[in-house]
Amino acid sequence: MTKDELLEVIEAVLEKAEVPDVVAALTESRDAAVRFGQNRITQNMDTFERKLRITLGDGSRKTVYSTHRIDVDAVPDILEKAMDMLKTASPDPEYMPPVPAGQIYPVVDAWDSRTADADPSERIEAAARAIGTAKKNGMEAAGLVGVSYENTAIGTSTGNLAYHRSTDAYMRLTLDRGKPSSFRDLSAEAWDDLPVDSAIREVAAEVEADENQKELEPGEYRLIFEPEAAGNLLPFIAWSMNARPADEGLTIFSGRQGEMVTGGNFTMTSEVNGVLKGTPFNSEGLASGDALWIDKGRLVNQPCTRYWAQKTGREPLFIPGTLAIEGDSGSVEDLVSSTPGRALLFRRFWYIRFVDQKELSLTGMTRDGVFLVEDGKIIHPVKDFRWNWKPLDLFSRIEKLGAPQRKGQISVPPMVIGPTAL
Amino acid sequence: MMIDEMRDQAERIAGQLRDRGVDYGDARVESTDLESLTYRKQRLAESDFQASLGVGVRVLVNGCWGFASCSGFDSDLVEKTVDRAVLVARAGAGVMEGSVKLSDEAPAIGHYDGPCVRNPFEIPRSEKLDLLARAADIMHASPLINMSWSNLRFERKRRAFGSTEGTLVSSDLVFSMPTIMAYAVHNDDMQNRGFQEGARIAGWEWIEQADMIFWAEKCREEAIMKVKAPEGPSGVMDLVLDGTHLSLTMHESVGHPTESDRVLGWEASMAGRTFLNIDDQEKLKYGSEIVNFIADNTIPYGVASWGWDDDGVPGQKWYTIKDGIFQQFGSARETALLVNRKHSTGCCRAMNFASFPINRQPNFYLEPGKEPITPDDLISDVNKGIYIEGRGSFSIDQRRVNFQFGGDMFWEIKNGKKVQPLKKVIYRSKTRDFWGSCDGIADERSFKTMGLLTCGKGEPMQSARMTHGASTSRFRNIEVGGGAE
Repeated sequence: MTKDELLEVIEAVLEKAEVPDVVAALTESRDAAVRFGQNRITQNMDTFERKLRITLGDGSRKTVYSTHRIDVDAVPDILEKAMDMLKTASPDPEYMPPVPAGQIYPVVDAWDSRTADADPSERIEAAARAIGTAKKNGMEAAGLVGVSYENTAIGTSTGNLAYHRSTDAYMRLTLDRGKPSSFRDLSAEAWDDLPVDSAIREVAAEVEADENQKELEPGEYRLIFEPEAAGNLLPFIAWSMNARPADEGLTIFSGRQGEMVTGGNFTMTSEVNGVLKGTPFNSEGLASGDALWIDKGRLVNQPCTRYWAQKTGREPLFIPGTLAIEGDSGSVEDLVSSTPGRALLFRRFWYIRFVDQKELSLTGMTRDGVFLVEDGKIIHPVKDFRWNWKPLDLFSRIEKLGAPQRKGQISVPPMVIGPTAL
Repeated sequence: MMIDEMRDQAERIAGQLRDRGVDYGDARVESTDLESLTYRKQRLAESDFQASLGVGVRVLVNGCWGFASCSGFDSDLVEKTVDRAVLVARAGAGVMEGSVKLSDEAPAIGHYDGPCVRNPFEIPRSEKLDLLARAADIMHASPLINMSWSNLRFERKRRAFGSTEGTLVSSDLVFSMPTIMAYAVHNDDMQNRGFQEGARIAGWEWIEQADMIFWAEKCREEAIMKVKAPEGPSGVMDLVLDGTHLSLTMHESVGHPTESDRVLGWEASMAGRTFLNIDDQEKLKYGSEIVNFIADNTIPYGVASWGWDDDGVPGQKWYTIKDGIFQQFGSARETALLVNRKHSTGCCRAMNFASFPINRQPNFYLEPGKEPITPDDLISDVNKGIYIEGRGSFSIDQRRVNFQFGGDMFWEIKNGKKVQPLKKVIYRSKTRDFWGSCDGIADERSFKTMGLLTCGKGEPMQSARMTHGASTSRFRNIEVGGGAE
């Protein structure tokens, strides 16, 4: 559907709804991808979806109705069903009307037409090249490569109307030869910006370097996180930061706003239209903006719903789909070569889960490459092992940061963490 | 759209695929209604309804898959979807030699209605909200309960499957799931306790049987008990684990390792591989001799009992592990031949019409002991140990060997008796060591199940559903404690 066609459905919902408070969002999305494993293509997909989400409120009750039936003619019937839901809802003591008029939505340039219209052969050939490299080197290739787009129109009964579209090109690649393995997660708005061939070459070389893994010897090590590894820990901090659960004593950030929560060289932000492309609005139609969450170790802002913001005198804030950690300069190799003494280099982590939410303590496994480093040189690969860490403690002991890299919707530098007992 | 119309649609698309000359093709036509009512503390926080419908088309051309989907049933859009499925399959065949071969399965014709005595969509919403409100009030009767969730989720999934081989099957399934969770805050700590048995293919009768009012009170009291309890000890000791706890342990350490696509390396980039080899079937010692795991996609209430899977293969029952020996992988038509089996076990399922079906876990359970043994009998033979109910923290490596689990409620066992509640207990083991240490399984009187709706696997990520169960069981000499310091 064109932008005008999407907006036409939204305007029809807003016009025909018989309640004062309405938010309607219509999203059209397409995801076309090739999945491969065991050096063969296992899935080859092209999926298409349109979804309409309507929030109705009568001043004291609200309900949300979603449907795949999308056309102007269906709107009265859809609204009737949504109204049935609304009539039977309970009054909500935390009821909030739609966001006020005059929302100023940031312009986010995240669209590449060639990516949106990509021919299937390009992604199939990318998978075939990864498979070919794997076969040539006695390895197996697995992963996913594809393109997607999303067009969303949103409107509120308070007079806001907005439209946003974005494309995404991505490749997640694992090469392995038994236990030696490596991994890369690539993403960009445009297919042409995806460094597919260099990534395939690098990952194959990293598998070679992962041969002859040895057991980890207990002791004290500096920890060197590649961007992927550091990025794996960040969502758990983000999930724990919300203002209301913190105020209710449920998370480690209870009563901590304004306090140091990490070391002074850790700064976490969100950006809407920088290197990372966020969303210009949330599901309520609230305009997004850049945000500073942790400033040089100090918790300065927390995501906060409109209701809780009103109750506690804060500004409503939400994470607009991106997280960025400030870095310095230098590559992973630079960090490795400048790290004194004994250290471990980690490529990524796997199956991270909370052990205790209130403490923000986590457990997880290493995956796809751990290396012993001594006086700036990689000595040998290490077998995967389980860890139990508190990320705020780790990020309080950062000794050095490298240049940030994009990992999906996260921008994160490699980093060296001070001596840690393992 | 009614189920007969959906069957007609699936059959029509299968005909269109035959006309296009594909080697194999199938169509899934689905319509799902989902109602979700959520109380956060003592207020209705969410009142949501989703009406989801669409078509997924899968084809084989020269051994290469093509899949396309669209939301809605618009005939023009569906026809374009058929064309796109064929287009991507042909594009694949143009680049790489295809290798997909499907096991021979007899074409099926039929319809399956899951058990549902009282249709939850016909229960007045006021009755549902009243139940949630009462549960919330009970949980918040103590000021130590700072937060609670209670949710009722009902889903009616109607699906029709038609293939170019002549299979035409359909099912009409109602899933019902109650959720209760109480959070106690005390002395700068927070602990929670929840209802753990999850979803069933059933109607409102499952909500009544689950008894949210009883659980609201139990969760309140045990969350408070837990937040005031001492932290668990560290060391090597015995564990007595109830069925709702073991349901997750077995899901991670038995269910995933025995999926055929993992042994083939198809999940190597995401969910991971398995420590098992294809040749381990009917040979490898997986657990002690009393350990028997039965996979069963015919259990009426089991959330993986769909009549037929998304290959059109009927639900089946088999031993995954018998007398401690690994028997066979769960499989799809495509993977069965590759793991040296002639036929699929019917474990091919997609999250919805928009997802490519992949190999998923079946319902499966630890067979109860045949001797009359109670949980107290198992505890009476433990000098130092911990009794654990429900699931908590969980993590396992990608080959499904090295795991760490928490739980939802913990009791210290001393000299054969439960002596006090504990909190912050975690244990670690390796899959075969753990199941090899099982020396006692209670009889069916303590059998409990957990219906899981959110098993994540695949890329793009798909969530799948399956039911697990066990009677309370005992495990010797397990490493406990020692989490993040």
